[in-house]
Amino acid sequence: MLKELRNVTFEVLQAILPITIAVIALNVLFIRMPLVVLLQFIFGALMVMCGMILFLLGVRLGILPMGEALGSELPRRKFLPYILAIAFLIGFSVTVAEPDVMVLSDQVHTISNGGIPNTLLVAVIAIGVGFFIAMSILRISLGFSIKYLLAAGYAIIIILSFFAPEQFIPVAFDSGGVTTGPVTVPVILALGLGFTSVLGGRSKLGDGFGLIGLASIGPVIGIMLLGVILY
Amino acid sequence: MNGLHLFLDFGATILTVIASITPIVVFFIVFQLIYLKLPWRYLARMFVGIALAVGGIALFLQGVKAGFTPAGNEIGIALGQITQKWLLIPFGLLMGFLVAFGEPAVRVLGDQVESASGGSIKKNIVVYGISVSVSLFVGLGMARIVFGIPLNYIVIPGYLLAIALLFVTDKTTVSIAFDSGGVATGPMAVTFLLAVAVGITSSIGGRDPVADGFGLIALIALAPILFIMLAGLFIKIKLKRRGDNDGNG
Repeated sequence: MLKELRNVTFEVLQAILPITIAVIALNVLFIRMPLVVLLQFIFGALMVMCGMILFLLGVRLGILPMGEALGSELPRRKFLPYILAIAFLIGFSVTVAEPDVMVLSDQVHTISNGGIPNTLLVAVIAIGVGFFIAMSILRISLGFSIKYLLAAGYAIIIILSFFAPEQFIPVAFDSGGVTTGPVTVPVILALGLGFTSVLGGRSKLGDGFGLIGLASIGPVIGIMLLGVILY
Repeated sequence: MNGLHLFLDFGATILTVIASITPIVVFFIVFQLIYLKLPWRYLARMFVGIALAVGGIALFLQGVKAGFTPAGNEIGIALGQITQKWLLIPFGLLMGFLVAFGEPAVRVLGDQVESASGGSIKKNIVVYGISVSVSLFVGLGMARIVFGIPLNYIVIPGYLLAIALLFVTDKTTVSIAFDSGGVATGPMAVTFLLAVAVGITSSIGGRDPVADGFGLIALIALAPILFIMLAGLFIKIKLKRRGDNDGNG
């Protein structure tokens, strides 16, 4: 445990010090920030480092085992539609309360001049993620390639982008990125790896990954569809 | 210290993080009671871990929000006022790399790839691959702000290229590439880098800061997808050529 703490601390310093030094250097060399802002930044950087150490330790100790336990239990339920329903619920529940989704829904609320209620948007995003998590599980169970799902998803996005109202496009594209936040990522990663680890004849490396990539497609399609349907 | 109040709403941040993880934890507890029935000691350890992660990410988010965002905004405003606008591009290259390098989820993905591959794909390859590609695309995003290029002109060809690359890349590389696209857009990019971008566009003037700032996240999400598949393709061709040479002589 102590050795792990040391490793994680070292890793976090390596991750956060470069950007901290770069911002301070920028400040010294040619941007004179107000002193308060600079002090705030240094204090913030310390918080970020402490936070990331705790987070990485906690992910290894708690969040990954939770996702893996869920993932490796799923294949033991023999009935495929039931497995898919559970996978959908997992995708839905990790997304529905993600803070970035709330921020995004406020932005959409603004661009639609209040035409799209926040709860509708949050529901659409969470359903989008849930649907693609279920699809990923279906894909791993039946053994067809992830390429078809990704190609189909991206093709739908491109087609929809020609029909969706212009102001929806940047927000829709951004939504795919923001919905997979730091809490969602380890849960979904471990879910996929746990699921493949108990299925016979699947490689963890080849089949266990890709869920996050697929999950990012759902919200993009969801928001564009909303734009097409409502406008 | 009039900036201090920014750190004082930590309570609100931690409540948001707790709210975000509650649905899945409740789901897990139901699962535990019906099916899993894991030993209590194991569960206790797991919940300590979840609590650590929640506290940690709340600290991280608060630090970014109260410390990084105001600084990012100042930097953006100062950069928007320089006369040689092309300087924004090397700045974007630098910041893109550093931001992805500091993103927590990138590290988690790197760990998982290394352990799932039994150590044959090193964590650092994933971390540096993502950081370099984000660097290139944030540079491109800055060029977009400088020259006023519409987002669609970059993103649609990018998505088409991604679809084309899918069919010539092996499935492991494809999965890791698309997952990398998802993890690259974490709190550092979404809050800090966006603050820089909004600062730049607001001080350049004549542009809509919201619309310009937005596309940056889409570009960051796309970058590792393209770059990692291209790198995989490059390695495959190189290995194949080496294999052919070995076969011939």
